Amino acid sequence: MKKLIAATLLAGLCIVPATMAMAEEPIKVCIVYTGNLGDKSYNDSCHAGAEKAVEDFGIELKELEGGTADEWKANLLGACEEGYDLIIGASSNIADYITEYGPEYPDTKFAVIDTTVDLPNVESISFAQNQGSFLAGAAAALFTQKTDIEGVNEDHIIGWVGGMDIPVLHDFYTGYEQGAKYVDPDVQILQAFAGEWQNPLKGKELTLAQYDQGADIVMNVASGTGAGVLEGAAETGKYAIGVDLNQDNDQPGSVLTSMVKRVDNACYLVIQSVVDGTFEGGSTQYLDLAVGGVSLTDFSVMREALGDAFPEDIVEQIDELTEKIISGEIVVENYEGFGPQE
Amino acid sequence: MSFFSIMSKVLNLSLIYASFRAATPIIYAALCASVTQQANILNIGTEGIMLIGAFTAVTVSYFTGSWILGVLCAMLAGVVIALIMAVGHIKFGADICGIGMGINMLALAITKFLLKAIYDVNGAFSSPQIKVIPKVSIPFLDNVPVIGTLLNNWSLTEWFAIILIIVLQFFIFKTVWGLRLRAVGQFPEAAKTAGIKVNAVKYRAMAISGLIGGLAGAHLSLGYSSQFIENMTSSRGFMGVAAMYFGGANPVKASIGCLLFGFADSIGARLQAYGLPSQFVLMMPYIVTIVVLAISMAAQLRSAKRRQSSLN
Repeated sequence: MKKLIAATLLAGLCIVPATMAMAEEPIKVCIVYTGNLGDKSYNDSCHAGAEKAVEDFGIELKELEGGTADEWKANLLGACEEGYDLIIGASSNIADYITEYGPEYPDTKFAVIDTTVDLPNVESISFAQNQGSFLAGAAAALFTQKTDIEGVNEDHIIGWVGGMDIPVLHDFYTGYEQGAKYVDPDVQILQAFAGEWQNPLKGKELTLAQYDQGADIVMNVASGTGAGVLEGAAETGKYAIGVDLNQDNDQPGSVLTSMVKRVDNACYLVIQSVVDGTFEGGSTQYLDLAVGGVSLTDFSVMREALGDAFPEDIVEQIDELTEKIISGEIVVENYEGFGPQE
Repeated sequence: MSFFSIMSKVLNLSLIYASFRAATPIIYAALCASVTQQANILNIGTEGIMLIGAFTAVTVSYFTGSWILGVLCAMLAGVVIALIMAVGHIKFGADICGIGMGINMLALAITKFLLKAIYDVNGAFSSPQIKVIPKVSIPFLDNVPVIGTLLNNWSLTEWFAIILIIVLQFFIFKTVWGLRLRAVGQFPEAAKTAGIKVNAVKYRAMAISGLIGGLAGAHLSLGYSSQFIENMTSSRGFMGVAAMYFGGANPVKASIGCLLFGFADSIGARLQAYGLPSQFVLMMPYIVTIVVLAISMAAQLRSAKRRQSSLN
């Protein structure tokens, strides 16, 4: 009898910790970035969302950075082999590899941000960056008319500097152009791509070239390369528009506003869906202006820098345009392959 | 928009300074490679020396608040790296390309590591506490139309690049030191016979090359920008070596090659705005590199042939 009790106790002792461990085994999430953290832009935004998920759900997080295509592929494959519960491809650059290797790991959940991958174990989250950019373009086109502000010239020319020449950036540009032309049909837009996500020197050189060609405000959509765009603005006393995160304070007084793309929300929500067990592979979420997926900042840093010279009418017009887009009165065009998908 | 108004926007005065600004880091790199090439050492490690110089400059400037100290320490770091290469190559007879590439890879990895270890950041480090190399503004030029746009607000190290080209040209071709350097490069046996300490000359050439390479890096991180970015040299060192070949290790000619790269880069930045495919524009500096090298090699071959035929 004693033996039996002892054996039961022993067995119980063994089982209880085992089941407890099973219940508390944290969900393992890996994020594969295309570029580095510390870009004060897209990647940092995604990182912020992941950090919040770590705090709220106690997940185990691994982040892999890489600057080149071969690193991205190696990082993704490494993550697949490690056996994570969820692997997040942080940008559209990684989508091709997920399309290629996702089917080989059917038990792994994948998520891809910023584009769509049509696989049963992949959840896609993309943004209406065209809508946010529409507002940014409108703000830029209005701002370049304010010749009484120091550094703004007579020409109605605005600029745009992108990182890599990839489809999602054209979706940005489509909106930017439409927004600018909506408020000023005569505005001219200069466009340039740096070809890299991590080369601020190139970004700065392209920005200075656009200033030389008559632009006085340049929007960056360039992750780390964009730091050079903002630096170029500060150095020459001209203006820039930030992207992804609120970059207004990166070069205070030189950044009119930022087009904030809530990559952090996307990252957080997809992790949450795995934690809650509501993860739906093969589905696509589209975060637009109406649900706060994209927006402009409140111009407060610029208002403080310019004081009385700050053109309040721009803010009013932007608010008006925002309402018109949400109500559907203005339909912002998409680049081919983007937009809400059924 | 008419063709002429586009051209006037692309080919304006600011293009001249933009070309020079883009060329300056490559000019420094070309000078760094030219000095050793005169002593018949191919300094393929220019890229790595620059990168370490750039990191040192930012770090010292950040912690001491002095750009002068930053630049000096960057040059010192350049010398240390160059001398490591020199010992390996001259004393132990290692292949210079092997050591050079090793230095390049080491520089990339160690700066990435230190960036994380010292500042706990990835990719890039910038801070308002980094004191940058001042720009030279000449007040009375502000009102002079053409020259004002052209020459005002250059960075101090951009002016110094011009001085350095002239000084090096003079030292290499007009002084005893230069004669010995070239003798060591072209006929080491003859130089030895003439009583020149061949290895000492080579070490000195490497040390000077390191000084210039470190300065090149400091200019990149404190003059051309105000931050350190992982792999911020992005092949400028290699383009400098290419320009050195183009100029036959002659500082003035090599610098002209660099200006060609700078021009291709700057005009590309301006042309993109008018619908030229970005991929094509971003290729331009490298296409220019290949074309320029091909032309210079062809010219050198022809002159070598002529020299030979005059001997026969």
